[in-house]
Amino acid sequence: MSVQLGKDPLNVVICGVGGQGNILASELLASALVEKGYYTTVGETYGASQRGGSVMSHVRISAQKQYSALIPRGEAHIIIGFEPIETLRVAREYASKITKVVFDPRPNYPLGVLIGEAVYPEIDAIAAELKYLCGSVQILEATRLAQEAGNAQAANILLMGALTAMPEIPLQAEDYVQVLNQRFKGEVYELNQTVFDLGFNSLAV
Amino acid sequence: MPGGMQLKTEVLATSACALCGACLDWCPYLKNMEDHLVLSFDCPVQEHGRCYSVCPRTFTDWQAVNEHFLAGIPYDADIGAFQTVYRVKGRQPLGEQQDGGTVSTLLQTALLEKMVDAMLVTGHEDGLTPLPFLMEDAGDIQKVAGSRFLASPGLRKIIEAREKGIEKLAVVGRPCQVQALRKMEYNKPPEVPALDVLSIGLFCMWSLAWSFKDYLARTYPGITFSRMAIPQHGVELISNEGTKQVSLEAIKEYIRPGCAYCLDMTAELADISVGAFEPALGWNTVLVRSERGKDLLERARSRDLLQVEEYPPEELNRLRQASRNKKARGLSMIKQAADQQRFAPFIDMSQSPYQEIIAESSGKEGF
Amino acid sequence: MEWMVTANEPGKTYLMQGNEAIVRGALEAGIRFAAAYPGSPSSEIMTMLGHVADDMDIYAEWSTNENCAFQACMGASMGRVRSLCVVKQNGLLTLGDSLHTAGLSGCKGGVVLLVADDPNAHSSTNEFDSRHQARAAGIPMLEPATFQEAKDMMIYAFELSEQLQQVVMVRSVTRICHGRGNVTLGELPASPSQPLPIGEWDKLISINWFHDLQFTKLDQAQAAFEENPFNWYTGPEEPELLVVTSGTGWLYSVEAVDALKLGDRVGILKLGTTYPLPEKFVLRYLEKTSRVLVVEEVDPVLELNVANVIAHNPGLNVSLYGRYQKSALPQSFELNPDVVIAALASLMGIEYQAPQTGEVPADAVVNIPARDLTFCAGCPHRASFFLLKQTLRIHESNGVVMGDIGCYTMGGNRAGHFLLQSIACMGAGINMGEGLGHLSRFGFEQPVVALAGDSTFFHSCLPGLVNARYHDANMLFVILDNSATAMTGFQPHPGIPLNCMGKPANAISIEKVVEGIGCSVTVADPYEIEATTQLVYDLIKQPGLKVLILRQPCATLAVRTKGRRKVWVDPDLCRGDECGCGRFCSKTWGCPGNIWDYEIGKAKIDEVVCIGCGVCASLCPAGAIKVEGGQA
Repeated sequence: MSVQLGKDPLNVVICGVGGQGNILASELLASALVEKGYYTTVGETYGASQRGGSVMSHVRISAQKQYSALIPRGEAHIIIGFEPIETLRVAREYASKITKVVFDPRPNYPLGVLIGEAVYPEIDAIAAELKYLCGSVQILEATRLAQEAGNAQAANILLMGALTAMPEIPLQAEDYVQVLNQRFKGEVYELNQTVFDLGFNSLAV
Repeated sequence: MPGGMQLKTEVLATSACALCGACLDWCPYLKNMEDHLVLSFDCPVQEHGRCYSVCPRTFTDWQAVNEHFLAGIPYDADIGAFQTVYRVKGRQPLGEQQDGGTVSTLLQTALLEKMVDAMLVTGHEDGLTPLPFLMEDAGDIQKVAGSRFLASPGLRKIIEAREKGIEKLAVVGRPCQVQALRKMEYNKPPEVPALDVLSIGLFCMWSLAWSFKDYLARTYPGITFSRMAIPQHGVELISNEGTKQVSLEAIKEYIRPGCAYCLDMTAELADISVGAFEPALGWNTVLVRSERGKDLLERARSRDLLQVEEYPPEELNRLRQASRNKKARGLSMIKQAADQQRFAPFIDMSQSPYQEIIAESSGKEGF
Repeated sequence: MEWMVTANEPGKTYLMQGNEAIVRGALEAGIRFAAAYPGSPSSEIMTMLGHVADDMDIYAEWSTNENCAFQACMGASMGRVRSLCVVKQNGLLTLGDSLHTAGLSGCKGGVVLLVADDPNAHSSTNEFDSRHQARAAGIPMLEPATFQEAKDMMIYAFELSEQLQQVVMVRSVTRICHGRGNVTLGELPASPSQPLPIGEWDKLISINWFHDLQFTKLDQAQAAFEENPFNWYTGPEEPELLVVTSGTGWLYSVEAVDALKLGDRVGILKLGTTYPLPEKFVLRYLEKTSRVLVVEEVDPVLELNVANVIAHNPGLNVSLYGRYQKSALPQSFELNPDVVIAALASLMGIEYQAPQTGEVPADAVVNIPARDLTFCAGCPHRASFFLLKQTLRIHESNGVVMGDIGCYTMGGNRAGHFLLQSIACMGAGINMGEGLGHLSRFGFEQPVVALAGDSTFFHSCLPGLVNARYHDANMLFVILDNSATAMTGFQPHPGIPLNCMGKPANAISIEKVVEGIGCSVTVADPYEIEATTQLVYDLIKQPGLKVLILRQPCATLAVRTKGRRKVWVDPDLCRGDECGCGRFCSKTWGCPGNIWDYEIGKAKIDEVVCIGCGVCASLCPAGAIKVEGGQA
């Protein structure tokens, strides 16, 4: 049976760019939560994201009932950003002083920047604005760490490790790992588990 | 030096382009097929644009260029600086030559005498469609003999010549092409090694757009033409089914608009310029300009490849008048373009001889 | 492979995507036949049915278009098996005539039409409301409000369909289809519905004689809806304001009432059966209030139905609010909790204080670049649009390019150098091109080019090509063949030798079809940019109808099978900003794999993104881009 949540509903936004494994990450998280007995709604905004567009998953966790797929303005408790400017874009809508942000500082350049029509902002400037918008901000170099561990594409799992370690999330590491085990086998599972543990142990929470 | 966007707004999009080809193959933005030459995508280079610096239709101080390459040579306001003028004829026929075959002979000489390593000439694929050839063998000259009347951006081959390590190159070019060759050298950045060019300039009144071939296909369906000639009156198209006459009126429609702004009938900046000799078939007019040009002609003469004769003074006057008339027409068109704000003049209209010609023509149509 | 949708675990709760819940519902209902055409947000449904087809002994088909899909279901229905047709909003209109005639003929085995609308057009060109079609076609309609209902309503829909012998529409939206939530599984049938023999007098005829019968069926549906587990009320006995809502509107309304703490003043009437409206049921609640707010997506369909009820019951004293003429809610784009909270707060005269976003001093506000959609790294469309733009510019004749629907629709934006000048619906490219091309007889000289993808070609271009050939249209028809229905998720189509269920299929050669229609056709590789530019240049100079197939597999698919080749830039050769380049690879070619190294001022390849197609290497003016193993 599910434990009462400190904040109910608990609202988490996972955001990034199409192709970063955003959807998979939020799905695994939500599956683990349902397995534990919570009502979980995941609202995915991805449209044509495959083609380099922004991706955003709203995860709404409750011990009481099923919530709608969208978080109201300013009510995100946690934002996990797979990409810096996407994190800021989301924070401007959904963050407030109740929000904790963790993001990967590796930029994914939009077409406008690649062709020289726009400038990609400095990571420091992004972090600075986030600090005004939110309660707390942490940087986690998920892609770099995942790359060092053997696969840059597994940064999403690393970030989920970090999220799972947060006290607000009613999951133990084993709960998420169990879902990983159901989904992946062999070498892929091993790598994902390693990367998940890296993330779980990475943040000062 | 501005870049591709300026070249487009001032030259390519205004129909001022002479299709010399000097701007091509250096970058991925300037593209050419048949007689279309365009900026296919926006070029971000705003400074040190090579295309702009070599284009004969961007602003140039031609007086200064002339001073640089033909210093000390007596300057003629109508036909440019030259030492002597001759009428000339090649002694050996070299394939389907036009007129006196002088150009082919000069090329042959330059190669034989090792004055150059290779030559850049416009030949043809089918008698009419021009194609530039970069060749190193004197024997290949036959392939490119004869006059071209459709424009080809032959100077695109300069880049290829450099890449092949050719150091001394003979180039047969239209006046606009000779202008571009001189600008290439005049404007080049110091660290770029000089390409030693021996230029043989061709007299030119106009060149035709490739749509002329469509006109021929429509008007004479099923006939393949192998050659075009412009004898005294009208235009002749030669096929194995006989010769067709096309009136100058019909031709006019196919003259490239860029040719209307040209101020150089006799390739005034070449080492040596060659054209038709109107009074007699089978002879050429030759203007010897630089020391190199003189040297080339001498060597051809001493090998007995060319017959070189005195030039009738009345013919020289006629030539000068024809060239002056072309300048007048060109200046009128340039002024019109400026008045209509299509492009600013690419020459200093106050310079000699433009100033005088404009003054002379004042009151006439176009002024 | 274990699939949640086929798990034999009745009573177990899983996190399921709305589309998965729909699949599970259809399987629990015992469907035997399913047909669809890919369309976001519904595509996952048929993909999943294809995966489990063998296990569940059902037939699942990616039909050539929605019309084929729906009529196939009607055919299967004659054999008395339960059939599911799945379409997106635009696809519903493709099968419009079929739907109306089906409403007239009715069905035998249950037929459920699952329509997925896309409010906000997240993955569509437009947003519109398919619910109008239920009334227009005269068929009953259900709207799930939760993921659980997405499953449960499928079972009910099939029962209703067979009870009434009428097609039933279940209308879902993106937030349900692509959202995920708790779904408790039911029981899978011991065996799915069996085909039964069709007697000599067993018919499905659409003829106007049956129009009144159609109304009788609607009346029966309405009677069934008056007391229905999908409709319920929560709130006070006599609410000051009654929210009437369906679909996603319900959860937003619940959240709004909670946020404003109006639970004792505002009632919520949730309807799952929305056409025909259970009028008696609704009237009971309308009588108890003076103000009604209807919360729904996209159009005021439910609202106008309620208005109808109010108009026919003059005893009522009710003011009606909703999306109609923006009386309380916006008329376009999707709803969310904030919009509904604002509307409710306004109507109830309450000031709502949302959690404040922190104040950011002006000089700390970062300028965030927009994220334009573009083609994936290695996409052949990037090459096709580049070479088409280049060719048309070289030809200097202002060629006009008509677009169509697929990934290549993005060719209308920067990714395709703004090449497209028209974008409408499936099949529009060739038909608009045919029309415009005929103006050449009146002196119109600009070359006309029309594009279509390979899946679009089979979906709707065949009549267009016949028409163009028959009338000797003056145009170049370019088929962008990337061997997939890519935009919607790489589903197979009639050109692919594999079907929805993963079994071999008779792939149809596009060029043979084109030749069979009597057109001359050329096949070229868009990756060979210079050669194909010359080819297109030569083609547009010719009069009449020309067909060109640009064939190169979708990069995202190719990388799954072929893997990636390493590509890198030699910085010593790279010209970068200099004349002769000007960052051609990143600025003009624009592949997300081509980036800029700001530290050394040279081009760079993003290894995480690059798939190794090598096209940028062939375009680099300095030959600075290198490909592992040389160029393909």
